[in-house]
Amino acid sequence: MKKIIYSLLIVLGFSAVSCDEWEPVLGGYDDPDDEALVTMTSNTTIAQLKAMYKGSPLHIEANVVIEGQVTSSDKSGNIYRSLYIQDNTGGIEVKIGLSSLYDEYKVGQLVSVKCEGLTLGNYGGMLQLGVEDPTGSYETAYMDVKSLIAAHVFKGAKAEPLAPVELDEAGLKDPANYGKYVTVKNLQYDKQIFCLWYPNPNGDTKAQSNRVFLSDNKTWGVTTWAMSAKKFAAYLNSGIWDAATLGDGTKTVAQLRKEGAVTASAYSVSQYFKMGGTSVQVRTSGYSKFSDTEIDSDILDGTAKVNLTGILTIYNGSQQLTLLDLSGVEKHR
Amino acid sequence: MRKLLISVFSALAALSLAAQTPTGGVKGTVINRTDRVPVSGATLRLMSGATEIGKVTADAQGNFQLSGLEDGIYDLVIDANGFITNTVNVTVNDGYVKNMFSLSLLPVQVTTEVDDASFGEFDLDGLGYEDTPTILYDQNDVFNNLASYNFSAIRFKARGYLSESQDVYLAGVKMNDALTGYSPYSLWSGLNEVMRDKATVIGSEISEYGIGGYNGLVNIYGTPSKVRPGTRFSVLTNSALYRLRIMGTYAQPENDKGWSYAFSASARLGGNDWINGVYYRSFAFYAGVEKNWNDVHRLSLVAFAAPGRRGAQNASTQEVYDLMGDNMYNSNWGYQDGKVRNSRNRITFEPIAFLKYDFTPSRKLSASATLLYRGGKNGYTAFDWYNAQDPRPDYYRNLPSYFYMENADYNRLNPSKAAWAREAWENNYDNIAHVNWDRLYNVNRNNATADGNRSKYILEERHADQNDLNLAGSLSWRPSLNWLLSAGIDGKINRTEYYKSVNDLLGGDYFVNIDQYAERDFSSSDAAIQNDLDYFFEHGEARKVKKGDKYGYDYYAHIFKGDVWASGKYTFGGLEATLGGRLGGTKFWREGLMRKGLFPGLDDNGQPISYGGKVITTYDSEGKPITSKGDSKKSSFLTYSGKLNLAYNFTGGHRVSGNISYSSEAPYFDKAFVAPRTRNTLMNDLTNVKAFSGDLNYMYAANGYSFRITGFYTTLKDQTDVMSVYYDLNNSFGNFALSGIDERHLGMELGFEVPTPLTGLSVVGAFTAGEYVYTSNPRLTATIDNSATVVYDNLLVPYWKSNPKFDRNADGTYSSVQNGSQKHYVPSTPQTAASLGLSYFKNYWFIDADVEYFGRSYLDMSPLSKTDFATAGPDRIVTPAEIMDLASQEKFNDAWLVNISVGKSWYIHRKYQIGFNLNARNVLNNKNIKTGGFEQTRMVDNTVSKERYYKFDSKYFYMPGFNYMLNLYFKF
Repeated sequence: MKKIIYSLLIVLGFSAVSCDEWEPVLGGYDDPDDEALVTMTSNTTIAQLKAMYKGSPLHIEANVVIEGQVTSSDKSGNIYRSLYIQDNTGGIEVKIGLSSLYDEYKVGQLVSVKCEGLTLGNYGGMLQLGVEDPTGSYETAYMDVKSLIAAHVFKGAKAEPLAPVELDEAGLKDPANYGKYVTVKNLQYDKQIFCLWYPNPNGDTKAQSNRVFLSDNKTWGVTTWAMSAKKFAAYLNSGIWDAATLGDGTKTVAQLRKEGAVTASAYSVSQYFKMGGTSVQVRTSGYSKFSDTEIDSDILDGTAKVNLTGILTIYNGSQQLTLLDLSGVEKHR
Repeated sequence: MRKLLISVFSALAALSLAAQTPTGGVKGTVINRTDRVPVSGATLRLMSGATEIGKVTADAQGNFQLSGLEDGIYDLVIDANGFITNTVNVTVNDGYVKNMFSLSLLPVQVTTEVDDASFGEFDLDGLGYEDTPTILYDQNDVFNNLASYNFSAIRFKARGYLSESQDVYLAGVKMNDALTGYSPYSLWSGLNEVMRDKATVIGSEISEYGIGGYNGLVNIYGTPSKVRPGTRFSVLTNSALYRLRIMGTYAQPENDKGWSYAFSASARLGGNDWINGVYYRSFAFYAGVEKNWNDVHRLSLVAFAAPGRRGAQNASTQEVYDLMGDNMYNSNWGYQDGKVRNSRNRITFEPIAFLKYDFTPSRKLSASATLLYRGGKNGYTAFDWYNAQDPRPDYYRNLPSYFYMENADYNRLNPSKAAWAREAWENNYDNIAHVNWDRLYNVNRNNATADGNRSKYILEERHADQNDLNLAGSLSWRPSLNWLLSAGIDGKINRTEYYKSVNDLLGGDYFVNIDQYAERDFSSSDAAIQNDLDYFFEHGEARKVKKGDKYGYDYYAHIFKGDVWASGKYTFGGLEATLGGRLGGTKFWREGLMRKGLFPGLDDNGQPISYGGKVITTYDSEGKPITSKGDSKKSSFLTYSGKLNLAYNFTGGHRVSGNISYSSEAPYFDKAFVAPRTRNTLMNDLTNVKAFSGDLNYMYAANGYSFRITGFYTTLKDQTDVMSVYYDLNNSFGNFALSGIDERHLGMELGFEVPTPLTGLSVVGAFTAGEYVYTSNPRLTATIDNSATVVYDNLLVPYWKSNPKFDRNADGTYSSVQNGSQKHYVPSTPQTAASLGLSYFKNYWFIDADVEYFGRSYLDMSPLSKTDFATAGPDRIVTPAEIMDLASQEKFNDAWLVNISVGKSWYIHRKYQIGFNLNARNVLNNKNIKTGGFEQTRMVDNTVSKERYYKFDSKYFYMPGFNYMLNLYFKF
C-alpha cells in the first residue's frame, strides 16, 4: 500500500511543473520598465527621399533610413491613422494605419523610418510613405500590421515640438513645404465649401447615383467645421440642402428626403479661406472631436481674419490645411 | 399568532399519539449496489420527519432489524463508510415487520460531484454562472447518476434547458439568482463535503421543498447534522482546471445535550495543463451549529463563504486557434514584468448566513422556517480604454484575415500584409499573441497632464453586489397513512447594485468618467458625454476617478418576490398521486444612481434639464423623457404554477409515472430592460414566460438491475433575452433585446445498469436524444448606449426559428430554387448524447471505463444576422447566398470521448480510511471538440460589390484534451 501512495505522490509532484501557472495566483506584479527608445542613424533626408519619387509608386529596396520629429497628433481625430514627421528638409506622411497614434508617438518625438520594403507614392500631389497596394487603387497603402510597423518605424528620444514654419503666399505653393507643420496668417473666409456625401453610405460610393456634391461657390448653410452624423441629420432635415441634386442629376435632396432614402453619417467638409489670391481649404473630418463646432460668426461674415496652423497639404492642385485641433485657429480683427 | 400556531400543532400532535403498544418493524440486508456483496457495519437511522425514531447497526452479513414501531411512513437513512448515504421510504402498517430485503448503497468513489468548480469560467458577460451544468446529480436515478459526470465535460444541458430553469434550494430557500435565475452553485463551491447531502427531483416532479418548474429541484440540506460525522482531509489535483485543492472537514454528531457542529475549509489554487491564464485562488469556509431540543425543536445557525479570484478563458475564432496551433488558446492574458497576468478575473466574496428552525411536534407533523441572507461583492475585471487601440491581442484587425480574404468581395486584398500578420502570430513576435501589459503601462505614462498621468487603459471591475434576504417556511402533515399534505410560503427581497469601479489604473494616476462613444458623436456637447452629469454640473468637469472609485454606470435592481404553495400526495397500494400548485408575485424596478448626460430625464421638480441654454433632456418615440437616474416604472407580475404527478409501483420493482406541469413565471430583471446600464426603459410588452411540460417514465430497479426510460415534451413561450453587442455599422456599443422567444423540447432519456455474471462487474449506459428547437420568430429591439435613437424597434427576426434552404450548384453558387427549410436549434448542448461503460467494484477497488458520444450540438445565434436587414445587405436585395451564409445555423461536429476512473480505499484498524480516486478524462486526447461558442454580431460591411454583408467569424470554446483528476483522502 505504501508503494501505491508513494507513486501517487510522485504523480502529484510531476503535475506541478509549470511556474507560469502560479504567477497569477501569487500576483504581485511590478510596473513594467519604460519602453526602450531606439537611436538610429539616418542616411537620407526627407527631401532626398521625396526626390526619389519619379511619377510612379516607388518600392524602396535600398537601405534608406530617414529621421524626423513628429508634427502631427490624431488626438482630435482630424488626422487619422497617419503620422507626419519632419526634418530640416521637409515633412512626410507615414501611413501607419493604426488609431490613437498620439498615445505612442508624442509631438516632437524623434521617429526613424527604415524605408526598405516600404513604398513611396503620390496622392493628389502629396508624397506618402506606406506599403505597396496590390489593388492599385492607391499608390501606397497603410501599413496596418503591427509587426510590419515594428519592423520599419522606430521611436526615438522625446524632444520639444517643432515650431510651425510661417509661410507667405508663395510658400503655400512651394512643394518643399507640403507635409510640413506651418502657420499662415491673415486669411479671410471665402464663403464656400466643398462636401461630398452619400445617400446610402454603405452602398456604392463611386456611383454618381449615390453622390451629392455640396459645392458651387456656396456655403450651403454649413457653419460648422465639419459634421458628425447627428449634425448631418440636423442640416439635412432643416431643408437647406433641398436644392442639391445627385451626381447624375436624377433627383434632388428634397426628393430623397421625401423618400426617406438618406442614411446619416459623418462627413468631412472643406471650408475655403483666402490668402491674397490663393485659396486654402481647411479640410476637417466629420469624425474629429471638433467637427460640429460652429465657426465664429465674425469669421464667417468676413469681419475677422484668422491665422491657421496645421499641416500643409495639396490635393489635385488645391492647397489644403489640416488642423491638428482648434488651437490651430487664431482669430483677429 | 405564534402561540395559536403552537397550540394547533400541539393539538394535532396529541391526536396522533394514540396509546398502543407498537409491534411494527422493519428489517432487511444492506448490500453494495455494484457487486451485491453485503455491507457490514452500516448505520441505519429511522426518521420521522426530522426526528430520529431508532438507530441500529447492520451485522457482519449486512442484516438489521428495527422493532417496536408504530404504523406510519418513515425515512430510513443508511450510512456506511465508503458509501453514499441513502434514504428510502418505509411504510409500516397493521403492526407487521416490513421486510425491505436488499437495500443497496452506492460506493462513494464511483461518483464525482459535478458543480461549477469543475469548469473553467467562460468569458461571457454576466455574473459568471451561465455555464453551470444543468444536470442534477441524483444517486438514485440511473440516468442522472451517469450523465451528471460523464456528460459534464461537454457542458451538457439536461433536456436542452438553461441552467436557470433548475430550482436550487439551500436549507429550504430557493437560491437561484434573483436577477438572472442562474444556478448559484458557485456560492458554495469548495464546500463539497458539507453541501453533499441533498434531495433531488427531476423534470416536472413535485418536491417536498417547493413546487418547482419543469427542470427538477434540488434541496441541499446544508445543516450541521446532515454532514457526515468525523474528520476528513483530502488533497486533489485537477489537470484541466486547478493544480491543487486541499479540503478539511470536521463534523461532530449530536451530543447528549443535543448540540452538533460542523466546520469545513478548502483552498483551490493554481493553474492547469490546458488553458494559460486560467487560475484559481479560491477559498471556502463553513461553520455551523445545531441544537436539538427533545427532537421537537431544532435550530441551526450556519455561515459560509467562498471568497476568491479566478481567471477566465476567452473564446476566439478558429483562425486564431489555427494560427496558435492550439484550440485552448486564451486571449485574456499576457506577460507583465515577465509574469503571466490575466485581464479577466472574477473576484468574489459573497457570504451567506442562515438560521433554520425545525419543529417536529409529532411524527405526523413537521414544520420548518429558514431566514437566509446573502451579501457581499461580485466583481469581474475587464479592459476599459479611452482613445486608444483595442488592447485585446485577437482583435480582428490584428489577424491575417483582416488583410486578405480569398473572396475578393470582402475587400481584403493585401496578401503581403496578411503574410506579415501570419508570421508574427505564428512566431509570437513581441508577444503579439498575448496582452501586451508593458505597452499599456507605457501608453498611460506617456500621457502626462497637470493632474498626473491620465490613464488610457485601465482594468475596470464590473460589479453586481447583492443584498438578498429570504424567509421561507414550510409545513408537512400526514393526516393518515395515505395522505401527505405540504404547504409553504416564501419571500425574497433583493437589492443589487450594478456598477463599474476602477480596479487598476495600470501605471496612470486617474481615468476620466466620460463616455468616449458619446464624445465621438456629440463632440460639441460637454453635457452629453458625461457618465455622471450631476458631478459635472457641480464641478464643471468630469470626475477624475482613482482606484476603487465607481464610474461608468451605477444603479440598483430592486426585486420583491413572494410565493405560497401547497401540495397533496395520496398513496394507496402501489398508486401515488400528487397535486400541487403555487401562486406568487414578483415586482422589480431599476433605480439609477448616476445621471447620464445623454439621458438626463427630468430634474427634481419634474422640469427638463438644460445646459448651455439648450434643453438636453431626451425623449422617446412616445414623447416620454428617457431617464437614467431615479426609479423606473415598477413592473409587477402575477406568477403561478400547477403540477400533477401520477405513479404506480408494481411489485417486483417496476414503476410507471407521468407528470405534467404548467407555469407562468416573471421575466428576470436582467432580461427586462432594453439597456439597463444607461436607462430606465423597459422592454416592450414585458410578459410572463409560460412553460408547459409533460413526461412519461418507466423505471425498474431490482436484483442489481436498474433501468429508466423517459419521454418528455416541453414548450416555452414568451421568453426574452438581452445581450450586449458592438455595432459595426454604427461603431458603437449597445444592446439587443429579444422578446417572444418560444422553444419546444421533445426527447427521451434512457439509463440502465445491468449486472454481468462476473461478480462486481456491470454494464452501465445512458442515452438521450431530443429535438430542442425555436418555434417562434422573436422581435428585436436594438439600442445604442450613446444615443436615444432606437436602431430597430420591435423588428421581426424572420430567420430565427428556421431558414429557407438552397442547394449548392456544381460551381459552388447557390441554386435559386428553395429546397425546404432548416430548423434552428437551442444551442450549446448536444441534442444526442450517449454513454456506455463497464463498472467494476471489488474489495474496495473500483474501475469504471466509459465511451461517450455527443452529436447535434449547435452554435448560439446572433439575432442581427437572422434579420432581413442583414440578408438584404446594402443593395437591399435578399439572395439565396445571403440567406445560407448569414441566416443558417452552424452545427458542431460529433464527438467521441473515453473516460476511465480507478479508485481504492483501505481501512486501518476499522477506524481510519485512506483512499484515492483517479479520473482520467478524454484519454483519446481529442482536442477538436467544441463545447460552445457564439456568432459575432459584427458584419463585414465595406464589401467591393456593395451587395451584401458577411458574418464575422464565430468564436468557440473547446474541451481540453487528456486530463486527469487525482484525489487522495483520509477519514477518521
